[in-house]
Amino acid sequence: MSTGSPPTSAPRKSMPSALKLDLHAKCSTTKARASTLHLPHGDVPLPIFMPVATQASLKGLTYDQLKQTGCMLCLNNTYHLGLKPGQAVLDAVGGAHKLQGWDRNILTDSGGFQMVSLLKLATVTEEGVRFLSPHDGSPMLLTPEHSISLQNSIGSDIIMQLDDVIATTSPDHQRIHEAMERSVRWLDRCIDAHKYPDRQNLFCIIQGGLDLDLRKKCCEEMVARDTPGIAIGGLSGGEEKQSFCQVVDTCTSLLPDHKPRYVMGVGYPEDLIVGVALGADMFDCVWPTRTARFGNAVVPSGTLNMRNQAFAEDYGPVQEGCTCTICRPKQQGGLGVTRSYLHHLATKETVGAHLLTIHNVHYLLSLMGSARQAILEDRFPAFLREFFGKLYGEKTNIPSWVVEALRGVGVDLMVD
Amino acid sequence: MDSDSSSKSPDTMTNFTLLAPTTASVLSPRLGSLALTGRKSIPTPNYIPLTSRGVVSHISHDLLRDQTAIGSLYFGLEDFIERQQRKGTVPIYNIPTSSHESALRKFTCFPEELVLVLGPRRVPAIACPPDNTPNSIAIATSVGFRQLDSNQFVEGVQKLRPDIVVGMADIVLGRQPGLKRQGKMVDRTHAYTMHATDQLYGSLVPEQNRSTASYFAPLLPLENTQQSLYLEELEGELRPHVSGLALYESASLAIVPESLGNLPRMLLNEPATPHDILREVSLGADVVTIPFIGDASDGGIALDFVFSPSETSIAEPTPLALDLWSSEYTTDTSPLREQCECYTCRNHHRAYIHHLLSAKEMLAWTLLQVHNYHTMDVFFSKIRESIQRGAFESDAQAFHRLYAAELPDRTGQGPRLRGHHVSASGPHQPRRNPRAWGRLDDLQFSESPSAVATPDTGADGLEERGFAEKEHS
Repeated sequence: MSTGSPPTSAPRKSMPSALKLDLHAKCSTTKARASTLHLPHGDVPLPIFMPVATQASLKGLTYDQLKQTGCMLCLNNTYHLGLKPGQAVLDAVGGAHKLQGWDRNILTDSGGFQMVSLLKLATVTEEGVRFLSPHDGSPMLLTPEHSISLQNSIGSDIIMQLDDVIATTSPDHQRIHEAMERSVRWLDRCIDAHKYPDRQNLFCIIQGGLDLDLRKKCCEEMVARDTPGIAIGGLSGGEEKQSFCQVVDTCTSLLPDHKPRYVMGVGYPEDLIVGVALGADMFDCVWPTRTARFGNAVVPSGTLNMRNQAFAEDYGPVQEGCTCTICRPKQQGGLGVTRSYLHHLATKETVGAHLLTIHNVHYLLSLMGSARQAILEDRFPAFLREFFGKLYGEKTNIPSWVVEALRGVGVDLMVD
Repeated sequence: MDSDSSSKSPDTMTNFTLLAPTTASVLSPRLGSLALTGRKSIPTPNYIPLTSRGVVSHISHDLLRDQTAIGSLYFGLEDFIERQQRKGTVPIYNIPTSSHESALRKFTCFPEELVLVLGPRRVPAIACPPDNTPNSIAIATSVGFRQLDSNQFVEGVQKLRPDIVVGMADIVLGRQPGLKRQGKMVDRTHAYTMHATDQLYGSLVPEQNRSTASYFAPLLPLENTQQSLYLEELEGELRPHVSGLALYESASLAIVPESLGNLPRMLLNEPATPHDILREVSLGADVVTIPFIGDASDGGIALDFVFSPSETSIAEPTPLALDLWSSEYTTDTSPLREQCECYTCRNHHRAYIHHLLSAKEMLAWTLLQVHNYHTMDVFFSKIRESIQRGAFESDAQAFHRLYAAELPDRTGQGPRLRGHHVSASGPHQPRRNPRAWGRLDDLQFSESPSAVATPDTGADGLEERGFAEKEHS
C-alpha cells in the first residue's frame, strides 16, 4: 500500500491503449479541435456530449431510441452499478454492455464523486474512501483497487481512476494540495490494478482545485504516466465560471495533442461550447435528461418549461427546424409532437419525459456535431457568434465569463 | 361477402363484417372484421389498447409505431378537458386542422392508420363522488371532479373527430345501483343517446356538418327487460345512427337483440385474467378492453401464456406471468419468454428487467408494456385462428386446464401514481405513493431524489457486491 510520500514522476507500468485518436482539424483561431475517437465499440466524433445512463438505462429511452439521437458513447455510474446490480451480477451477466443491451461505447466514472457527495461521513484517507455503511453503521473502505475492479467487471470502454475529490471551492489550500498529490498516487495504484488495459481505456483525472500551479504540476505528473486519455476533474462544483475556464485553458495547453480530453460533469450548452473553444473534447452531464423530466426542453434560445401555461395552445414543434424524432413532422418520418401536447403530458405521464429526453439529448449531440463541422470547415469563430447570439440575444446579455474566456482564445464576441 | 352479414351504417364510414359464423348469433364466439375508411382494419375478436392522458402508458410514439402492432386506441374525453371550466378553453379543440383531419389524432400525434375511439370517460373509469344527472355525467379530470353535460360531450366529438365514439351512459361505479336508480340509468342513457345521435347525425344538421364518427351506443349492465324501451328505440328510430354497441359487462352479451346482432360489440370492462377474456370471446364479444396489461407492466409482471397451449396434462397449474421483481431473475439472461418475438425479448433479458425494476428505472415499465402488448396480440391472433378452425371451445378448455386461475400478485413497487391514475372514491384511503421527501434537514440540496442513491444493503452486502470492504480494526 502506498504511503504519504510525494508521487514519483516515472510510470510504474507501461500503459497499452485500446483507443486511437484521429485529429482531423484544429481551429485556426481558438484551441478547438475536431477528431474521431476510435473505441472498442465504435467510432466517436469529437467534440462530443455524453448522455448519462446512470443505472444502465437512459431515463426511459430504449437503446434504439438513444442510437437514433446519434449517441455513440454514454455514461454509466460505477457507484450505482456497484450497488445495483453489484459486481457478482455484472460478472455473471458478462458486463454492462450485455446487461443493458448496448453495443456502442460506455464510459464509467470511478464512483468516488458520488461516494463523497452522497454518503454522509465519508472521509478520504491514503488507503481510500472510508465511510460508514448507511444500514448498519459498520466502517467500510473503498480503494482505487476496488473501483478499478468494479469497472473491470462493468467492462466499460473508458474507465476513470479513483481520485481524491474535494470541492474546488474548499478554502483549505493544504487539503487541495494533498488531494492533488494523492490523486497522482492513486493513479499509480489504478494502473497497477487495471486488469484489461488492452480493451478498457483508463483515463487519469487532473486535480488541483482552482490553483493553476497545482493544476500544472498535476498535468505534468499525470501526462508522464501516459494513460490513453485525460480528464480534467474537480470542476462543476459551484466554482466561478471564470475560474472554471482558467483551469480548462491551463490544462489543455499542457496536454498532448494526440489524447482525448474530457471535462467531467459539464454541463450547460454554453459551458460545452466554451469548453470546446478552450480545447476540450468530451463532456457529460445529467442536466439535459434530468431537466427533461421536469418538463424542460433545451433549445437554441435557452430552456422552455413545457408546463408553462403559455405553451398550452402552442401548436408548433419544440424547436422549429430540429431534426430529432419528436420535432420532425410526420411527413418526414418524425412524430410531429407539439408544445401543446407536451404541456398536456409534462410531469403527468412518463411518456412526456421520454419525448423531451429524446429532444434534449438530440439537441446537445447535434449542437456538438455542428461545432465539429464548423471546426472542420475552419469557421468556428463564426459558429461561436451565432450560438451565443441565439442564446443571449443582445450582445450585452452575454455573461462576462464567456466573453473573457473567448477573448483569451482570440474571439471577441463584442466586436463583429 | 354475404350482404346481410355486413352492417354498414348510412351515416358513417364503418363496415363490420362477420366472417364466421356469417349470420349474427348470440352467445357463441365469432370472427369478424371492423373496417373504417382510411384506417387499418381490425380483425375481431380483438382488444383496444387504453390510453391515459392521450398516451399508451410508458410507450413513446416512435416505439408504438416501430415496435408494437397497436392498431387502435381508446381515449377518454375527460383526459383532455380540464381547462374547460377554469380557463374557458380546451387546447385540443383549438389545434388547427384541415377540413377532414381529426383534432384528436393531430393533437396526440398518432399515425393516420390507427383507429381512434373516444368515450366520455377513461377505461377503467374512476368512481366520482358527484352523481350523474339527467343531462350530464360526473367525470374526473386531472384537476378534479366535474359534470360533463350532453352538449359538451357532443361538442367534444365534433371537435375531435374520432373514428368511433362511445356514447354517454349513466353507469353507477363502485356500488350496486338500487331499483329506482336502475330505472333512471335507462331513462338517462336513452336520453343521452337520442340527444347525441340527433346532434351528430340528425336530419336538421346540415350534411357537411354531420359527424363521420361511428356511434357505439351503450347497453346498460342491467337485465334485458329493464331496458327494453331503450333497446326497442335502438332497433327502430336510432338504428340508422348506430354502428356498434358498447357493453359494460359480459352478461350484456346475452341481451343483445337479434336485430342488432350483426353490430360490432365493444366490451368496456375489466377482465382479471386471460380466462375471463376467453369467456367474453365465447359469449360473442368482438372488441374488449384489458386494463390488466398496464397493471401488470406497472407491477413488474411479464405476461407468459399462449393460446392454445400444446401441453395438456400437468400436475401443477402453469403460472400466467413472471414477477420480475423476484430475485430469482437476478442473473437470468434468458428472454422474458423463450421464442417471443417482441422488441423486449429480442433485445433484453430477465436480469436487465429485474435490475431496472429494483433501480426504479422507467425503462422497466416501457419494456414490460411492449412485451405484454405483444403477448396479447399473439393471444388474440391465435383465438381468431382457433375460431376459424372451429376449435375454440376445446382450445379454451385446454387453456383453462393448463394455466393458473389468477395472475400472480404484484410484489414490487410501481411507478409514482398521479391523481388521474387512481380512484379517490372514499375518505381515509391509504397513501398511494411512498413518501419521497423527508424532513428538510435530510434534504440533499445539490441533488434531485432521482440521483440520490443510498445503499439498500448492509456492510456485508456491500462487501459481497465488491463495492467496498469492511474494515477490521
